[in-house]
Amino acid sequence: MIAATRAELRKFFTTRLWWGLAIGVALSAVLLTALFTGLAGNQGLPPLDSPNAVSQAYTSGLTFAYLIVLALGIISIGSEYRHQTISSAYLTVPHRVRLFAAKLVATAVMGAIYGVVYVIAALATGIPIITLRGFDPFPADDTVLRSLAMSVLALALWALIGFGLGALIKNQIAALLIGVGVAWIGEQLILLGLAALDLGAVGAYLPGMATVALVQEPLQVEGMPFAFEYLQWWQGALVLAAYALVLAGLGAFRASREDVS
Amino acid sequence: MTAPRPLTEPPPSGTRRGLRIEVTNLSKHFGPVRAVDDLTFSVEPGRITGFLGPNGAGKTTTLRMLLGLVRPTAGTATIGGRRYAELDDPVGTVGAALEATGFHPGRSGRDHLRVLAAGAGLPDRRVDEMLELTGIPAAANQRAGGYSMGMRQRLGLAAALLGDPEVLILDEPTNGLDPEGIRWLRSFLRHLANEGRSILISSHLLAEVEATVDDIVIITNGRLVRQGAIAQLRGAQKSLVRTSDTDRLIGALRIADVDAEPAEPAEPGAVHALTRDLRLIGDVAMRAGLPVWELRILEDSLESLFFEATEGTSRNLGTADPAAGQDGTQADRPTTATEGGDR
Repeated sequence: MIAATRAELRKFFTTRLWWGLAIGVALSAVLLTALFTGLAGNQGLPPLDSPNAVSQAYTSGLTFAYLIVLALGIISIGSEYRHQTISSAYLTVPHRVRLFAAKLVATAVMGAIYGVVYVIAALATGIPIITLRGFDPFPADDTVLRSLAMSVLALALWALIGFGLGALIKNQIAALLIGVGVAWIGEQLILLGLAALDLGAVGAYLPGMATVALVQEPLQVEGMPFAFEYLQWWQGALVLAAYALVLAGLGAFRASREDVS
Repeated sequence: MTAPRPLTEPPPSGTRRGLRIEVTNLSKHFGPVRAVDDLTFSVEPGRITGFLGPNGAGKTTTLRMLLGLVRPTAGTATIGGRRYAELDDPVGTVGAALEATGFHPGRSGRDHLRVLAAGAGLPDRRVDEMLELTGIPAAANQRAGGYSMGMRQRLGLAAALLGDPEVLILDEPTNGLDPEGIRWLRSFLRHLANEGRSILISSHLLAEVEATVDDIVIITNGRLVRQGAIAQLRGAQKSLVRTSDTDRLIGALRIADVDAEPAEPAEPGAVHALTRDLRLIGDVAMRAGLPVWELRILEDSLESLFFEATEGTSRNLGTADPAAGQDGTQADRPTTATEGGDR
């Protein structure tokens, strides 16, 4: 199991994909944190005088980061099918439950590593800007710390969601289009539809909304046509974990029974 | 089903356990298609077994069942009495290079092996040893996307050998190798077999493996056609002599204790002598005062066996009529190819 997990982690670090995506995650942290800390107090954004506003600024890039990590999860298993390396994986570790357990652990670890990359990039951008603007980058209570820790958890879970999608939809391109399409645009459309039907409470259970609830105490942006509802942060964690475990579990179950030819 | 060991082969050295591959009543149905149909054969330690059949005969599906990648509809395929998934140390027991086993184009060959080594708990040192052994240490640092077919074959072989396995299973290993590469592979496999390993190599071309293998297993449409030692299946070695008076030459040869008969199909002046000793035939003819117009060894019996066994029965060619071959060109073809008897 440890050997199998080491092999899976080596797969990530022996192609150029991982640092390409790491740059994407860092960029989304840098650009959106800079935007939100720079514009705070203007454009309807609250000033950076509360722990909540600071943690919102730090986690503002996470909506892009989780799409990138979703893609990583999809590609990690999708490329095994695409390049027919899945046979080698099964030959090395024929016990498929063990192999997929190793893959899930390695994928979650990778997601968490990207989470750490995100947090470092967001802090490196946010701390100087917030300080320059005369606010405290680390307000006294633990809201900010929890928010950053939950960002790491969120990306680990999104990597698992991607893995599950990739294992269920073996065609890598299709899985990427469907996964990123649904998470990025599909969820917004569903939210608008639910809001129009007065079912905003259901929308809170969508993965993107659960992620927002997990990493910040969401603010209602003024001027929006609908008021969105959010879960508590720990409820968000449970909902997102449920998506990750159900999808990854189903994907692993399907793959563990397949004929490879 | 055990093929007799020819006396010329040294017995396998005692350093290895020597694991048999046993395939017993193995079947795989994909819907109505019987890709593999009640197949039974075995592979002995210390010998190289050629697994032959036309494309689409079910070779790869059989190998994949043996390796636990495809689940059989019925029957068993075991290595040393155990299914692949039950092996304690799969990489140290069986090394496999399957045709459809790919490499990530963005990963170097060396890193591909390092991933496999990590999964099997082997040190990276072993990776470099295998790259050295298969002759691709320099190229292995480049990304696999740019590899030639021959390089991919060598990398696949390096991957198969990583765990120093008892059993080696290679799917179409000669594909994409140049003649020098095939010669290299041949002596390499012979060396490995002499160490007591069991080696199974598949091919759709008899000619490519004929000089490499000790035993052959021929299948068509998922069914066994023939299996046995290649020397036995090849039959007695014959020579062709052409002379002026066949009856006198046959008589003279028989007196010299060489069985001989008129050539079949009949040709004027042609005699088949059941020996490879051309000098003896020449001497006998000279003593009998007969001219020798042609004298050579005939070695085509295995080739024709393979063609007879597989020709016209490949499902890839549509619904070939089994009677189509009876147009008189090869009157002495064996009975239906799928009998699997030991003619």
